[in-house]
Amino acid sequence: MMDSLLRRIRPEQFREVILALVTLGVLLFFASQIPDYFNGRSVNRLTMGMAIPLTVAVGQVLVVLTRNIDLSVSSIVGLAAYATGTLLARNNDLNPFLAILFAIALGLILGALNGLLVAYGNVPSIIATLGTLALYRVALVEFSGAKTVTTSELPAWLDDVPGANVFSAGAYDLRVMFAAALVVVILGQLVLRYLPFGRRLYAIGSNPDAARFAGLPVRRDVLLAFTLCGGLSGLAGFMFLVRFGNITVTAAQGLELQVVAAVVVGGVSILGGSGSMIGALLGVLLIEVLQTSLLRWQGMSEFVKDAILGLLILIAVTADAVILGRLREMWVRVRRRDQEAARAAAGEGAIGG
Amino acid sequence: MLRLASGHGYMLPLREGRRQAASEAMAPRHTASEDAMERAPAAANPDELRPVFEAEHISKSFGGTQALSDVSLTLYPGEIHALLGENGAGKSTLIKIMTGLQQPDAGELRIAGEDVRINSSQDAQRLGVAAIYQEPMIFPDLSVAENIFIGHTDRGAIVDRRAMERDARATLDRLGVSLDVGEPARGLTLAEQQTVEIAKAISLDVRVLIMDEPTASLSAHEVRQLFRIVTNLRQQGVAVCFISHRMEEVFEIADRVTILRDGRWISTQPRAEVTVASAIHGMVGREVVELFKRNRHEPGPVRLSVKNLHREGVFDGITFDLRAGEVLGFAGLVGARRTDVGLALFGIAPADAGEVELEGRDVHIENPRQAMELGIAYSTEDRRQLGLIMPMTIAENISLPSLPRFLGPGGFIDFAEEVSTAERFRKRLAIRSNSVETPAGSLSGGNQQKVLISKWLETNPKVLIVDEPTRGIDVGAKVEVHQLIDDLAAEGMAVIIISSDLPEVLAMSDRILVMREGRQMAIFAHGEATQEKVLSAAMGQSGDLFPDGSAAAAVAAELDRLVQGKGLEAGQ
Repeated sequence: MMDSLLRRIRPEQFREVILALVTLGVLLFFASQIPDYFNGRSVNRLTMGMAIPLTVAVGQVLVVLTRNIDLSVSSIVGLAAYATGTLLARNNDLNPFLAILFAIALGLILGALNGLLVAYGNVPSIIATLGTLALYRVALVEFSGAKTVTTSELPAWLDDVPGANVFSAGAYDLRVMFAAALVVVILGQLVLRYLPFGRRLYAIGSNPDAARFAGLPVRRDVLLAFTLCGGLSGLAGFMFLVRFGNITVTAAQGLELQVVAAVVVGGVSILGGSGSMIGALLGVLLIEVLQTSLLRWQGMSEFVKDAILGLLILIAVTADAVILGRLREMWVRVRRRDQEAARAAAGEGAIGG
Repeated sequence: MLRLASGHGYMLPLREGRRQAASEAMAPRHTASEDAMERAPAAANPDELRPVFEAEHISKSFGGTQALSDVSLTLYPGEIHALLGENGAGKSTLIKIMTGLQQPDAGELRIAGEDVRINSSQDAQRLGVAAIYQEPMIFPDLSVAENIFIGHTDRGAIVDRRAMERDARATLDRLGVSLDVGEPARGLTLAEQQTVEIAKAISLDVRVLIMDEPTASLSAHEVRQLFRIVTNLRQQGVAVCFISHRMEEVFEIADRVTILRDGRWISTQPRAEVTVASAIHGMVGREVVELFKRNRHEPGPVRLSVKNLHREGVFDGITFDLRAGEVLGFAGLVGARRTDVGLALFGIAPADAGEVELEGRDVHIENPRQAMELGIAYSTEDRRQLGLIMPMTIAENISLPSLPRFLGPGGFIDFAEEVSTAERFRKRLAIRSNSVETPAGSLSGGNQQKVLISKWLETNPKVLIVDEPTRGIDVGAKVEVHQLIDDLAAEGMAVIIISSDLPEVLAMSDRILVMREGRQMAIFAHGEATQEKVLSAAMGQSGDLFPDGSAAAAVAAELDRLVQGKGLEAGQ
């Protein structure tokens, strides 16, 4: 059975299949424990909760694929949310699309700064973005003067966005924000699969030296990955503003860990070179399900919830190292055997082995 | 050999007379070689006639290749024993077995007459066998003294810095060198770092010291200094196993010479009985079997012209013309810097100076992208680490450098085109795989090599540089790769083949450029090149290492004559 399965899919794709099964298992478990688990309100809340981390996760996947990491995303989200909020508070008539573009542009600039440090300054990404994580947050504090953007200052149309639906089926809504995040995921997946840029990200992360030897623009692509990650964080910042309205200087703090966790749980290798947007989507889903459900289930405390999340990350990474290694071996064996069989059948003997 | 108490100095137990000799070794160096003549193979002392190290009938194979078969080596205390052989002769494997990094498939090892098994480098260290390499393995942030005593476990739980520095100084004194033992090792020159390694070895009571090309990166002055240290060690009864590609050095310092070829023992002789010609002959004296029959044809116009290509501290004075349809071989021993020339032409480590003309146009190659746009492709020797992206499929690997040409409408990758291109290469190069959507990592070495070459052919190069195209692949695939190179040349491609496999270079090349330590030693036409000539050039003198009138200078002159094709008969 295993053999035939291994003939069909690559080991990396197993991760997504397994993750989907685990998520399904978790959902069924909570459904059996919590009465009326799948009611419209909680499902809508779940999808709303996913929108922001999902958007950021797509950017993070681009970066992580290149064997880097961006820890500054939460500060970019916070800064973009606050700056856009301030802009809208001062100009209530501003075109909504201009506001979105402003948030994204701000994110792009901050992301490009990260990218320059990593790709051209040769600063290890974990250090560079740890630095900018603090710097961007401090910039926010300075810029705001520790004041808060409040819902009452913002234009009225913003209030309508969170509740706006693309469509509803009974009590279940497809909210605009979640739909936007899904579009980002799909676009991201298309980029990874169909554009040379996406292909190059995998190549760079799998083997940066080989990528250089193949004449790929490694630095430029890493810069671009960070820039896009910043831009998507800027977009997430706008979503943050829309969703919460009140923006303090601590906006989105801690989001970076949630996103990195989701990406890792979603099977994107922290060592670069493998993973997908679909995996990240599943990772965000699983973590969001656990977070909301653990709270509903016997009112579990925040700390236990964090502990469970931490455990989940450890399991994901360990399973990745152990199970995937085994799967790869099996996979190579099966392929080899098939090839030998084919060769024997073709009467080529053992040449070329 | 006994070990004197620790704590204050780590002196080998020397008799008074020999200790005297140790200090005499600091006398002017020309006495060293005369001294060696008298001493070889070992002084007539009953103690010393007993070998300190014996390897008998050692065999070792890796996969299908026999790296060593039935090789024996005996080392006596107080001798300098040179190990000579071409690339792949089995020297490295033998050293790895002596130092416990690898286990022999068959054969015995004896130390001071007792059978031993050396399972790890700790075992080797315990038994008094240590090795020093071209690149010293020091800890840059630790002090000289700390580096020397890092391997000691018997110095108590608390580090007595003062005692350690005193002992370090005593150890260095024995070598006849003075270094500031408190300074971090970071600032030391390569030669000084090697000295620290030697000091580390003798502080552990080394009886057998293996030196694997210790001189390759040293200046002439430093080489002389190292030789003084080595002769000093000899006086103290250490057996030194010395490996060098510099023939002059071997003749300068060795007491006995062992020659290996293709994993076999060829000879062990006192140095006085070896001539340069006989040594070269021993190293290459294999049956000349025509590996591959090229379809020779008249090459076209000059495509690539390189003049005085220079990269600081790496290579210098590389000058050649490469014609369309010509195969130019780069021959040389390990450390000849052939690959660095390839990397420079492909822009990965660009040259600092020199002229490169491509089809008559001056070009300056700064990075791989630019080289590719100019039509230069470089297929690396390290296909696993640098050549292919192993998790990616065959098709994805082939299209990687030329992705912009695989775009369909809307800028999306045209998968169908990608697959059909890969299929074309799979058929043409007979890449054995069920489908081109198999990851490169699951292919055999020979098939990976074909994918690697395909990937570069797809960029439509004008000049193709292939570095070690057949290393580690089986005979069948090797013939196929040779056939491919021949076909490409016939179609008018200009090819540079860098190879450590001398018969391969001889068979495949229209002309052969021989390098040695970053310098171009000779260019031979196909007809005039022989294994002896190429190897003589590869081992010949490239600098003014030794003064005129020394034994080494005579060796250099001898090598020169061999390169000219004279005197080959003399040694046979």
